[in-house]
Amino acid sequence: MPGPASDSSPSGALVLSSWEAREVVYPIRHELKPPIARLSISWARGNSFRVSIFTQHPANHTSDSNDGEVGGQVLEVKIRNGDGEISAAEFRRIAYGSVSPFALLQSRKHMVSGLSKMSMGLPRFNPDGWEYLAEYSKDISSVIGNPKLIPSSAIEDPLEILKKVEEPTCLKAAWELMDVFYADKQSHWWLNERLVDWLAEYDSVLSTTQSTIHSKLVDFQKELNNLQVVEDNPRYWDVILSALAVGWQEIVVKMLRLHGSYQLDQLSRRETENGLVEAVAFLISEMPRMRPELDSGKFGQCFKTKPDFTKAWEKWRSKITKLDGSGFWVHCTHVQTRKGLQNMLRIILGDVESLSGATCNWMELYISQLLYVRPFSMGLESMYNLAEKCMQLKPASNTDRLMALIIGILGESPEIVLAECSRGFGPWMATHAMELLIEENDEAETLLHEERHDLGGVSIEELHRLVYAQVLCSHAFTWQIAPIYLTSCAKQGIGFLETLLYSQAVQHNGVLLKNLEICRLYELDSLSSNIMKIAGVYHWKHGRKGCGVFWLKQARDEVRLNKIAQQLFDSVGKSISDESFKQWEGLIELLGSESKNTGGLEFLHKYRDFKKSLHQVHQKGKTTGAAQSAVDSLIALMKNPSTPQRFWLPILNDSLKLIDWHGGPLLNTEQTNLLLNKLQELSMAKLRPDFVESDLPPLALSSIRLALAKNLGRAFLEGC
Amino acid sequence: MAIASPQQQPQIHRFPQFKYVDGVRWLPPLSAFSRFAVIALFDSDSDSSSIEIHSLTQNPLDIVPHSTWISPSRVSSLKTSQLHRNPLVFASTYTGSLHVLSVEPMEASLDSELSVPEKMLHDGPISCVDVMDGGGECLTVSEDGRVSLVSVGESGLSYRRIFDSNGLVSYNAVKWASPTEFVTGGCGFSLQWWDQRKPGGAVSQFKANWASGIVHCIDIHPSRKHTCLAGGSFGTVFAWDLRSQQQPIILSGLEGSKTSNPSPCESEVWEVHYDPYIKSGNLGGMSSTQILPAMICSEDGILTSIEQGKEPVELLAEPCAINGFDINRQHPSEVICNLEWESVAILSRP
Repeated sequence: MPGPASDSSPSGALVLSSWEAREVVYPIRHELKPPIARLSISWARGNSFRVSIFTQHPANHTSDSNDGEVGGQVLEVKIRNGDGEISAAEFRRIAYGSVSPFALLQSRKHMVSGLSKMSMGLPRFNPDGWEYLAEYSKDISSVIGNPKLIPSSAIEDPLEILKKVEEPTCLKAAWELMDVFYADKQSHWWLNERLVDWLAEYDSVLSTTQSTIHSKLVDFQKELNNLQVVEDNPRYWDVILSALAVGWQEIVVKMLRLHGSYQLDQLSRRETENGLVEAVAFLISEMPRMRPELDSGKFGQCFKTKPDFTKAWEKWRSKITKLDGSGFWVHCTHVQTRKGLQNMLRIILGDVESLSGATCNWMELYISQLLYVRPFSMGLESMYNLAEKCMQLKPASNTDRLMALIIGILGESPEIVLAECSRGFGPWMATHAMELLIEENDEAETLLHEERHDLGGVSIEELHRLVYAQVLCSHAFTWQIAPIYLTSCAKQGIGFLETLLYSQAVQHNGVLLKNLEICRLYELDSLSSNIMKIAGVYHWKHGRKGCGVFWLKQARDEVRLNKIAQQLFDSVGKSISDESFKQWEGLIELLGSESKNTGGLEFLHKYRDFKKSLHQVHQKGKTTGAAQSAVDSLIALMKNPSTPQRFWLPILNDSLKLIDWHGGPLLNTEQTNLLLNKLQELSMAKLRPDFVESDLPPLALSSIRLALAKNLGRAFLEGC
Repeated sequence: MAIASPQQQPQIHRFPQFKYVDGVRWLPPLSAFSRFAVIALFDSDSDSSSIEIHSLTQNPLDIVPHSTWISPSRVSSLKTSQLHRNPLVFASTYTGSLHVLSVEPMEASLDSELSVPEKMLHDGPISCVDVMDGGGECLTVSEDGRVSLVSVGESGLSYRRIFDSNGLVSYNAVKWASPTEFVTGGCGFSLQWWDQRKPGGAVSQFKANWASGIVHCIDIHPSRKHTCLAGGSFGTVFAWDLRSQQQPIILSGLEGSKTSNPSPCESEVWEVHYDPYIKSGNLGGMSSTQILPAMICSEDGILTSIEQGKEPVELLAEPCAINGFDINRQHPSEVICNLEWESVAILSRP
């Protein structure tokens, strides 16, 4: 076997990015000297392939051909996609984890559809459908990962404005977004606030190309420790405005409290200034929110009904307006503070220009508009128009995958959403997110379940599941979960599954038995017996006869078992060594006697008994007892109709010593006659065209005749 | 099947390894407080195998890699033992080599290695190894039909072949019964009893042939050396008592469900161990024909304790196969198992 691959790149993997044009050249480094004579490329398992490079064979052997490079080199190249966010091992963990929620949802859907069929005519009977879906979405979400707080010191650091968390993944952000819109429709009355929460958690992964408010905050956090007077720094106010725009009120309040006027030695001098800062901070922390509750540590008043919320909002706004028009501003001598606070009020009052200035991209602008400009809009109404307006104000040169997904969702087009899931996040996302799209959405259901002629008769749903199953099949660790997805594919699933199971290796018992277990679960009996046959032949060929025969028997493979039995016949009538006789005997034992169709096994067993007793006669010498039992075996063998004619003569030849027993006749008249008749039958058979001449010495027949005649005579005498 | 009541429910901790787990064992104790587990891993990305010692930390329970040894091939069977107070790790591979690693007691690191190269003991993968309690005598069996004995001595490893069936019988499991006797198992639910004082073949044989499955694992209790507990295909677990040769006691499986209890699992039973944690009602008054409580794990993801004449108690039900487990001898309430989906689970029973 060629040695392991020497890698072409440091990580040993090519990086293919779906964003770039298709034709990209990737150099593969090898250590051979040109000229290269031949290249051969072959696919290996999964996303890897082998490139074999052969050098020119030296034309004349006199040249220095002994520099060890006559052969060539085999390189194994692995391809991975450009998604560096999730490693292959992490992806497998997600794949394992999502099996149970997916299977549970499928079985519940089956149950519900069964129930609704039973109650035909009644309106759709699906009382708990939403709960199932919400549970599924939560389960999958927890599989993708829960951002963990990195433990910090017990004493709160006043300068720590951003809580340290593990960076969330883009995939998680995408799934949570799907959850907000499709899984948890019970919470649509506070959709705006859910989007605010979503942005707060995932702003850091929103864009790979543009800056975000999160990245601004991170940068400022680094600077913060070196700043003496924060309120003199324009960046301080800039960051506060940004955080306020997207509703991160606890960060805003925390930052305002860093204001210099709070310091004890300055409090007396900057009383008015401090009053204003505190007033703004207080108002911000009192902001009415249309949502059931807020996490501890977050600010705002929660309202669950629209009238209550509207009332509170108006009241709060009037307070802001009042503060905006108050006379205290004139007494605020610190210019930056005055301007900064007034800009904050402008944001709260929903000044589009201020909002646009405070946000980094259209998504953030969109969220800020939901918060301050259109706090009363509920559900999906006219959301897309608003988003379009934001995109016009903050056009993006490059569409990031999360933003593309959001546009699709707001556009209420399941087709685009699915396409973006697949393009941006791969087959896993497409397969699992589809479940969210379909539920209670007839348009999506028709779209995804319709059988498509251009897809070879399968639906889009099935297509995505098949693609995902293929990804699972390509890895030695995940192929076992592919059947879960394949069996949910009505058209091509079973076909794919059979191909998958057929292609698994049979070398190792573990893998083989796992494979057979899947066959058992899905009742693929004929497939299972075929796999057993393959295993049987494999073990037989590698000299593990016991294993081979075991699997062939399990598969009830009479044809091959018969062939093995036929091989055993070849030893009949020949003198074989003790060792090979043991092997031969063991094999007969293995084949067993319970199978009736296995031709000639009965004969083989009888022949074995005969051979054994004959062996004893030869070993122990002249004891008449052993000889008598050998004769019994001989007669049983010759009487049996299953004993092939071609072995009669060799068997009789083997038993010459018995027939011509020195200590007196062992066969009685009847037995001798039986054997003579057999000889007679043989000479008649010689005339038939299909007779097989045995390769015994020519004199054998006559010596047998002579011995038999002699024995008959002696038997007569004894009988008298 | 009975589900453990809430008070009896074990605490379960799962640890993803991001590599396939080929085997897990507890390491014999190095000190009174430290706990270590030996894990055999296979990394498909780099196509490399390793044996790692992980140390356990309590509150919260966690496992941390401590020491690593790179294996030349995937580990097919893993055992641990203790020789002269030094813990030893025995690992056989799919290419047929056997490696004996000694653990440095102070550092708990895998420091030295002795090995028998491939093709010396067996032709092809070694299916099972078993090490004598408190000794350095290791039996290896394979599907090629050979039974070999490897001894750890002062001057390294020495090995000899005990038997060669020339492929006529394949062995999948092996277990010491006494310093001279051992049991092997394989295809057709067959078991063979061997005595080294009587060379040339097995002393006694058992073949069940219940629709023919394979014996994957054997356990023998030190106090009941005449009884051999075997687990295999179709959820089958049975005990073979040498004194009543052809009448096995079926504890679980298709054959058993016809007569007595429903079987806790239907698929391959990958490992079986007597469970010292379960105290049977009257151990003293128990007749020597009564089978002691045991624990099994299966391909259909079940870890359960079974006891003759009682309903099995399920300890763990996973969506994937449980390929093996080990009960901590010093703290029998703790069980470690290797799961198909690249992870390890540790159970602590109350």
